[in-house]
Amino acid sequence: MDNDIILRVENLKKHFQPHLTFSQSITGAKKRKVVKAVDGVTFDIRKGEIFGLIGESGSGKTTTGKLVMKLIDPTEGTMTFQGEDVTHLEKEALKAYRRKVQMIFQDPYASMNPRFKIRDVLEEPLVIHKIHGDRNEREKALIKALTEVKMNPPEEFLGRWPHMLSGGQRQRIATARTLLLNPAMLVADEPVSMIDLSTRAEILHMMKDVQRDLGLTYLYITHDLSTARYFTDRIAVMYLGRIVEMGPADMIIDDPKHPYTKALIDAVPEPMSGKVGVIKELPISGEIPSPANIPSGCRFHTRCPYAVPACSELPEPELEDCGGGHLHACRRWKEI
Amino acid sequence: MEPILQVQDLRMHYHTSKGAVKAIDGITFDIMPGETLGLVGESGCGKTSMGCSILRMPSPPGRYEGGKVIVAGRDILPLPEKEIRKDVRWEEVSMVFQGAMNCLTPVYTIGRQMLETLQEHREMEPGEARALIDEYLKLVGLTPEVAQRYPHELSGGMKQRVVIAMALFLKPKVVILDEPTTALDVIVQAQIINLLKKLKQTFDLSFIFITHDLALEAEVADRILVMYAGKIAELGTNEQIFGAKGPSHPYTEKLLQATPLLHKKVEHLHFIPGTPPDLITPPKGCRFNPRCEKCMDKCREEEPPLVEIEPGHQVACWLHAKN
Amino acid sequence: MSVNPATTRLGDFWTEFRRSPSGVVGLVLLVLFAAVAVLGPALSPYPEAGTSWRSIEYWQDEPANAPPAWTNLFAREKGAVSARLAAADSAAEEGEGYRVERASFAYDFSYDRPPLDLILHFRVDEPAPVSVAIERPDGRRVELVNSTVEPVSGEARISLDKEAGAAVLDFVRGIEPPEALERLDGSSLEPTAILFAEAEPGLTTAPRALKGKYRITLETIVVDGAEPASEPVPPRLAVVGRVSGLLGTDAQKRDLFSGAVAGVRYALLIGFLTALVSVAVGVVYGALSAYAGGLVDAAMQRFFEIMSSMPLLPFMIVLSAIFKPSIVTMIVLMVLFFWTGSVKTVRSMALQIKEETYIEAAKALGAGGPRILFRHIVPILVPYSFASMALAVPGAIVYEATVSLLGLGDASIVTWGQILHDALSGGAVLNGVWWWVVPPGLLIALMGMTFAFLGFAMDKILHPKLRTR
Repeated sequence: MDNDIILRVENLKKHFQPHLTFSQSITGAKKRKVVKAVDGVTFDIRKGEIFGLIGESGSGKTTTGKLVMKLIDPTEGTMTFQGEDVTHLEKEALKAYRRKVQMIFQDPYASMNPRFKIRDVLEEPLVIHKIHGDRNEREKALIKALTEVKMNPPEEFLGRWPHMLSGGQRQRIATARTLLLNPAMLVADEPVSMIDLSTRAEILHMMKDVQRDLGLTYLYITHDLSTARYFTDRIAVMYLGRIVEMGPADMIIDDPKHPYTKALIDAVPEPMSGKVGVIKELPISGEIPSPANIPSGCRFHTRCPYAVPACSELPEPELEDCGGGHLHACRRWKEI
Repeated sequence: MEPILQVQDLRMHYHTSKGAVKAIDGITFDIMPGETLGLVGESGCGKTSMGCSILRMPSPPGRYEGGKVIVAGRDILPLPEKEIRKDVRWEEVSMVFQGAMNCLTPVYTIGRQMLETLQEHREMEPGEARALIDEYLKLVGLTPEVAQRYPHELSGGMKQRVVIAMALFLKPKVVILDEPTTALDVIVQAQIINLLKKLKQTFDLSFIFITHDLALEAEVADRILVMYAGKIAELGTNEQIFGAKGPSHPYTEKLLQATPLLHKKVEHLHFIPGTPPDLITPPKGCRFNPRCEKCMDKCREEEPPLVEIEPGHQVACWLHAKN
Repeated sequence: MSVNPATTRLGDFWTEFRRSPSGVVGLVLLVLFAAVAVLGPALSPYPEAGTSWRSIEYWQDEPANAPPAWTNLFAREKGAVSARLAAADSAAEEGEGYRVERASFAYDFSYDRPPLDLILHFRVDEPAPVSVAIERPDGRRVELVNSTVEPVSGEARISLDKEAGAAVLDFVRGIEPPEALERLDGSSLEPTAILFAEAEPGLTTAPRALKGKYRITLETIVVDGAEPASEPVPPRLAVVGRVSGLLGTDAQKRDLFSGAVAGVRYALLIGFLTALVSVAVGVVYGALSAYAGGLVDAAMQRFFEIMSSMPLLPFMIVLSAIFKPSIVTMIVLMVLFFWTGSVKTVRSMALQIKEETYIEAAKALGAGGPRILFRHIVPILVPYSFASMALAVPGAIVYEATVSLLGLGDASIVTWGQILHDALSGGAVLNGVWWWVVPPGLLIALMGMTFAFLGFAMDKILHPKLRTR
């Protein structure tokens, strides 16, 4: 196994069984529609890289993040972290895993208990994992973490309440909280999408600095291609629970192979003049289908402008390499 | 051509226990028929308050402190509420509120909710109303069959289309759109933007498009009004703001630099340090001065006037104001 | 709206609470009740009413079924008010080998109806000769008693109503004409009625009150050398009036005001303890059920449903009838049923909190179940618990009263429910002894109202705005 790889995910699936209603369970009528949120995802994350997982809502990117974070258990597939199988973990092993893999949540307003002071918020991981029993040591650790996320002066923030801080500041605190456990990898689920555009870059800078200083690995989950290009090393584009394209960030955005990636890129607005009168040509129409009802064959064929009958009839295309670590799952990539 | 809507030196403050929050503090602009005005700024700069104030429905404890909102030639601020409801709101100016698509009642069908909105303003035969609903659903790119469905059966993009259709019902001349695409995915967002452009061309509608995303304004707005702390920082045409020369106010410039570009790899993204000021006691002088890189002594002392630096391009910055 | 830090949150709560008039009324009433509970014995004429409610001796100097003293204000004929007098002066006269101890009491009689009885209490260690005399405002002196008393545990008690019949008959003989005397029967004579009436013919049939200052003198002969076995107790005179106290007395001669005051403590104790324990149990149960989810949740909810559908009252009645009921067992029993009250709401609130991102964040940090439950979920439910606690208090008080009303209460204490029970079994309603029924009933209602007001006010502020961010 490649020593460089910190996390390997193979054919990971998460299917949700919807609850039966009372009448359904009595009549035993319909077969349940299984919601295939994540439907066979394979990727490697290298040590020290920022790996971006891109997709629209309903693409399964957040579920993948939760699977990696082990907040939910996969239905199928394997996960290997630092050479160890972590697909299913029990109590103690899970707790040990949590020290190595941490998470930053999307909503900085909701990810902290409003009744906790910043000190309590930061001390929580230490208390849970019984680190730094000594008061002074603990204090030092808190201050160090706050300094790392550039909350200056750190002492001033310890006594405050979350609601007294701006979204950006809270996201820094959330980052500091994870750093206290000295993790090897951070899962960041849309960490800046709720932060004002004007300060978004500030948080991304901070996260990048922390990553460089501490040699961290990030799994960055987002719907925003623009920040992904700036922030990540490699990108995987997800559609309906599967990765349709994966590779170095610049390659994906400058030279997309999959029609879905192309559509995503075309749809991004750019701050330049001269577009007001123009109605943008959108290569794809409609919206993402329900993950409870996934189209046959290539799951994108229903919206694909290049789809031919073979796309729906042949089995689903696998990821294939077209050079330079750029993988895609489209049969007709050469023709389009 | 006569402007269809004029806002003159409008002031609207929220009176809280801690003091008056000066959410709108002397704003003047006008909109021509068929024009889209982009209203852009950070959260808390007064964008949404602006939208509600034009409809004469400031959310409490907001009160007008002066100025005029002239719709179709008359100032609507002194009018009685009844008249506003009858003649102005939805008839002349309508609004798609932020998150309105999530405010559709889950227990009624789309058709019924649209019918209710319609009947609140017009006496109408049920058959006629239904025909109108079908027409408008088609107009926003939905099938008439959608009227029989419940909100939870529709996707976000479809709900947003329904809400837009409801805003268009009474053929208003101006539609205010408050962050109409924020919760939507990029592809759906692009679809909605296209829809708005088509509607504008077909009906010669005027839009006020409120968002925090400058890139989006570049796509839709003929003119852009940049708000900062309840005041106009810069007002100019699309070309004047997004053209090769770039914007003139340091705030707009910074905001634009903070917007990541997809097709250009940058090593360092810009951001604006600090947070927007507290609108109860805004900073002395230029309100942007504590966060401005180009801040001069004068900026801290005196408030810059809004001056026209070229035709149709107004900037409130001492770099451009001549004494 | 964001949640404020604890201090200002309390401040906010107070500002909002003040705006609810019923809440303020509730708070004022609660403070009053609490003050009465603390000051109880100091306020009531019978400080031991709470523990001696069923002692016959403790109440023997009071009239039975006497209306409250303030009814005199509305009565045409004013009745004598119950009173306890200390000796106005006392002296000892040394003789040879013996000592005469003399104590005299001044009684200012200014009513239309005489007291029912005059009772003397004094200390004697051995059987001793005693004499009692009364001096009337008209100058007449009547020797009432001249006998030897047997002390009971160092104390003697002389009731003039019982002991002075013969002396009073002699007194009447000097006044009433012989034909009137013939009709007289010694046993039907009311000594106090004669003693406090004008000395004129018709004294026995239509006595006219003789108002003025009376002096009652008690003389005891103590043999020298006999050392007092007990501490010297000053002699006292109890006037058993026609009316008594603030709330009158019941058929067992108990001062109802003292009973009502003593009852405040027990009502608060029962109410608070039951509400506190049952809400605490309910909150933890509901939160645990919501947090555990799945099968555990389903099982816990079924158990909860069984418990909440069981009627408490029949259980309490049966169990109280089988076991000797005490206040503790009654509280335990009520807790066993009352905890279900808050479970459903708490569970639905906890289900909502469980989905908050910060719970997921805590999980991601490695927090275990107990930590999430007790550090993150339960603290947010605390404000709601206060409200439901306040709402559970009246229920507990009324249940205890109900069980007591049925005669199954704790016999060692006095509660308002027990007073009501005694009133009903004592035929208070039939006899028009309204002062026995109305005050305890009103108090139960008032105490219930106090907590209901508080609860509603708190509920309004805390519950609908479960501010989780």
